[in-house]
Amino acid sequence: MSSAPGIYPIPDINLPQVFGLVEILDDRGGREDGYKLARDLNFNLSELLKVMKAAEILQLVETPGGDLVLLPQGKQFLEADINQRKLIIRQRLREHGLFNYLVRLLATQEERSLAKEVVLEHLAMLLPNEDPEKLFNTLVNWGRFGELFGYNKDEDRFYLDQE
Amino acid sequence: MALLELKAVSKQFSRGRGRLLVLDSISTTIEQGQFIAMVGPSGCGKSTLLRIMNGLIPPSAGQVLYQGRQIDGINPECALVFQSFALLPWLSVKANVEMGLEARGVPLVERERRASIYIDKVGLDGFEEAYPRELSGGMKQRVGFARALAVEPKVLLMDEPFSALDALTAISLRGELLDMWQLPDMPVHTMVMVTHIIEEAVELADRIIVMAASPGRIVADLQIELPRPRDKRTEAFNSLTDRIFSLIEERA
Repeated sequence: MSSAPGIYPIPDINLPQVFGLVEILDDRGGREDGYKLARDLNFNLSELLKVMKAAEILQLVETPGGDLVLLPQGKQFLEADINQRKLIIRQRLREHGLFNYLVRLLATQEERSLAKEVVLEHLAMLLPNEDPEKLFNTLVNWGRFGELFGYNKDEDRFYLDQE
Repeated sequence: MALLELKAVSKQFSRGRGRLLVLDSISTTIEQGQFIAMVGPSGCGKSTLLRIMNGLIPPSAGQVLYQGRQIDGINPECALVFQSFALLPWLSVKANVEMGLEARGVPLVERERRASIYIDKVGLDGFEEAYPRELSGGMKQRVGFARALAVEPKVLLMDEPFSALDALTAISLRGELLDMWQLPDMPVHTMVMVTHIIEEAVELADRIIVMAASPGRIVADLQIELPRPRDKRTEAFNSLTDRIFSLIEERA
């Protein structure tokens, strides 16, 4: 009844928020208390925790005991231009269990695409505690940023972006 | 010659039976390559002034000159970025970016070429066929930037471009705007940004025009010499924000 090994959900936040977090962390010398940051930015703490989680998934920061620590990869990310950043995100997403699963799933399909409904069923099966619709929207947004997935709303088609 | 020059520009709006003086005899010049921020309290007419620069709103008195010539109507060399993004919800990202070009009569092939260049420059590759409602605020404002840049304007005018975004998204977009401004192959290096956030002005601009309200007028015009990238934790940064705050405050 458990999730497939290595497949974890991603928080429903937007990537530009993650980039902002990494940037302000660097401004503050690479280490900061999450709670203090939320207070300084007047940012909802539970939202900030989700952004921290996302930054950790993307291997830009570590979060020991509620602190935020900028990783060397996070520093490199900041120094990259927008299109290099997209490549870095693409690489990290490929390594993530859930994205990796969907890439493999799409690769076996005709025209490397699936209807959204089918993807929602896979998500419900893999991560029964998550809201599949919400998760799908986040996957599409992150996947578009990394140019890994596309989604055509008119045709309801979720597909693998060109390699 | 100044790129853009305002000569004794005033603006009145009718209010009930009376008239409200929104801008009182504003004169200033904007030189090529400057990043200018206009800061001031709400009601100081800074957004109205921005639209007068663009020709979207005619002044009640005074003149707007572009490269020495008086502008009547919209100045095609200026493009605007809005706080509210102002995207058409039924159009895809790509179609939204192309829209400004279509309005200017740019042929289809050229529209597509430019849309793809600026979609790439603002990091929207992969989002071409998305609709605005599928996008976060940060991605929506990138569409706003791509649409304005695709016109290849000489002046980019921005009205509170980061104010509708959450704090973290605003931080990342400010950084990206600065990166874009410093790219040698960008078509536009002259920017005018309206903001009510003093820190934002000091972080980004190399010149800050400070305005006061009732009636709207310029009370200070400061050159910002801080080296880039600017560190907000320095004494120089903080003393500058304090100084601008008191300039605004003592006239409020």
